[in-house]
Amino acid sequence: MRASRESESGSSDTEERSKGGVNAEVVNKEVINKEAVNRDSPRPNVVLVSLLLATLVAWSGLDAVSVAPNRIVPGQGHAAWDVAGWPGFLLSLVPMLAVLALAWRPDRRRLRWALGLAVAMLAALPAWLALASARLVDADLPQARMGVGAGVWVALFLLLLALIELRTRLALPRTLGWSLLLVPLASLAAWLTFGLAPLALRQEFLTRRDGFIAAIVEHLLLVGAAVGVSLVLGVLLALAMRRWARCRTLGFAVLNFLQTIPSLALFGLLLAPLAWLGAHVEWLAALGVSGIGAAPALLALVGYSLLPMVRNTFVALDEVDPGVIDAARGMGMSRGQVFRQVRLPLAAPVILEGIRITTVQAIGLTAVAALIGAGGLGTFIFQGLGQAAMDMVLLGALPILVMALIADALLGALTDLTRQGEAT
Amino acid sequence: MSEAVSRLVTGGGRRWLVPLAWSSLLLAACVGMPWLEGLFRLVEPDSRSVVYARADFLTLLGRHLLVVAVAALAAVAIGVGAAVAVTRRAGRDFLPLVAQLASIGQTFPPVAVLALAVPVLGFGTLPIIVALLLYGLLPIVRNTLTGLEGVDPGVREAARGMGMTGGQLLRQVELPLAAPVILAGIRTSVTINIATAAIGATVGASNLGDPIISGIVNGNTAYVLQGALLIGLLALTVDSVFARLQPAAA
Repeated sequence: MRASRESESGSSDTEERSKGGVNAEVVNKEVINKEAVNRDSPRPNVVLVSLLLATLVAWSGLDAVSVAPNRIVPGQGHAAWDVAGWPGFLLSLVPMLAVLALAWRPDRRRLRWALGLAVAMLAALPAWLALASARLVDADLPQARMGVGAGVWVALFLLLLALIELRTRLALPRTLGWSLLLVPLASLAAWLTFGLAPLALRQEFLTRRDGFIAAIVEHLLLVGAAVGVSLVLGVLLALAMRRWARCRTLGFAVLNFLQTIPSLALFGLLLAPLAWLGAHVEWLAALGVSGIGAAPALLALVGYSLLPMVRNTFVALDEVDPGVIDAARGMGMSRGQVFRQVRLPLAAPVILEGIRITTVQAIGLTAVAALIGAGGLGTFIFQGLGQAAMDMVLLGALPILVMALIADALLGALTDLTRQGEAT
Repeated sequence: MSEAVSRLVTGGGRRWLVPLAWSSLLLAACVGMPWLEGLFRLVEPDSRSVVYARADFLTLLGRHLLVVAVAALAAVAIGVGAAVAVTRRAGRDFLPLVAQLASIGQTFPPVAVLALAVPVLGFGTLPIIVALLLYGLLPIVRNTLTGLEGVDPGVREAARGMGMTGGQLLRQVELPLAAPVILAGIRTSVTINIATAAIGATVGASNLGDPIISGIVNGNTAYVLQGALLIGLLALTVDSVFARLQPAAA
């Protein structure tokens, strides 16, 4: 949905992405230059200072965790000093104050230290939760659950922002930025294995471990099938559009129209005709076609995926420098060779960009498809919402978020890689 | 008002034909749904009632529009404001972070954002407005940044040379030049929000998503079709309005 509009703003998603990066780098250089000029008294990094101040306020002012005797009863909130006592609480403020001090007079070395501290703080959050569960959860109540409180969520969010800011200021490569996150993730995994038994999210996972894994597989299968089908169809459509101008106008009109229809409505509109087909056409029914389930979901997902896929493929193939094509033909390449060996490789980065947009979009839309019984992680979200079981909602929503981020990062890195290959 | 009407009737009026057609179709569908009972009976021959009757379709449409409009207005005010602030000299430090946040945030699926908002904010209409507002900010911030950064530095220089103050420069030069891109961002934001608001029916907001959810739960395809039809028409109406506004601003 979001993708369709961006083309009309006159710049494709690719351009905007790179533009954001360029801005950051330009600003970055300015800052570094400024620092080089007056090394003795660098300006405070206002962004880091405000982020850390906000973290301090949230950490001290909001509940760190909430503890409930069982799944039904709403939890009771506990502030940070309940978790570790006053000395422990004051100790937990030290790294934040340290980053604050480092950001007040930033230079490269100090910012590196701040980066290290930020990563360490993120890695320490699971330990903090383990401490809370050890001190606040009654060990005699096996049903007792501990939920993560707003203070810890907000601190997590703000520290991640600080990490992004530091990565930009230090001009670290994207991959290094991502790999820094592995440290807190490893810490989280370790603590989940050993210490965090009462964590509500973990308990929710343990009670539906099989269902959870099946849901992830279903989700990925649906996304994979939708992206795969739309890739094949999209390339064919884009090729047809390049050949026949009328096909182009009509095709884009239909695909734009489809993207405008909200997902829930499209799933709903497909329900009736597919149910009819499933009931009246035997071989379709044998294939599993019915109003409810994976068939309408896949159909709608492919419909949504086609626009970004076709548009990017079309633009990519169209934008290849005609001079290069001429040169290739001049070298005696056949039409097919030109297409396979010149046009397609040159178009690859923009086509990959289309796959990236499509995949991220499909991961989100598949969650909605759970409403019509397609399975996947959306099932947990909507079941959890129905039962007002918030941990179950989180169990569905958090993996979807993570999947979208990973797909975006991986396919983005792949696009960068093909671009670099092109440049050399 | 009268000026707008006269402009609608004469001259540029024909350009509004498409949005007008979609919106009358939408209203007609809202009011006339009970008369289509026979048609829906074909789909759902066994059900006791085939037209969603728990709430009036016009009311549902009104609620849907209200939620989307409030969220969109707030998102425009905050989003454009934030993007303008970080492109001024005083807020320049925040530009890289805000630009990256807007770009990373757009990879978050709207459903996940909606689901995550519920544990924090609770059930009902207000949480949905907040979730829509937060998610709707991203395309607006991003496009406003793109638009403002895209203004030719020469133009800016010339305006300064003419003696414009910073505020004049912003209002009379930068924002008008960036308007088409900003409008495209608002269009993206509203399109996503109409769809997400419908899903909001699962978290206790009553709107056009209601008939769909209730139809799915009760296995009544007719309800589903009615809700889907109206949401589809609503999306097309709003989109056609933006499609008309866009070249006008360019």
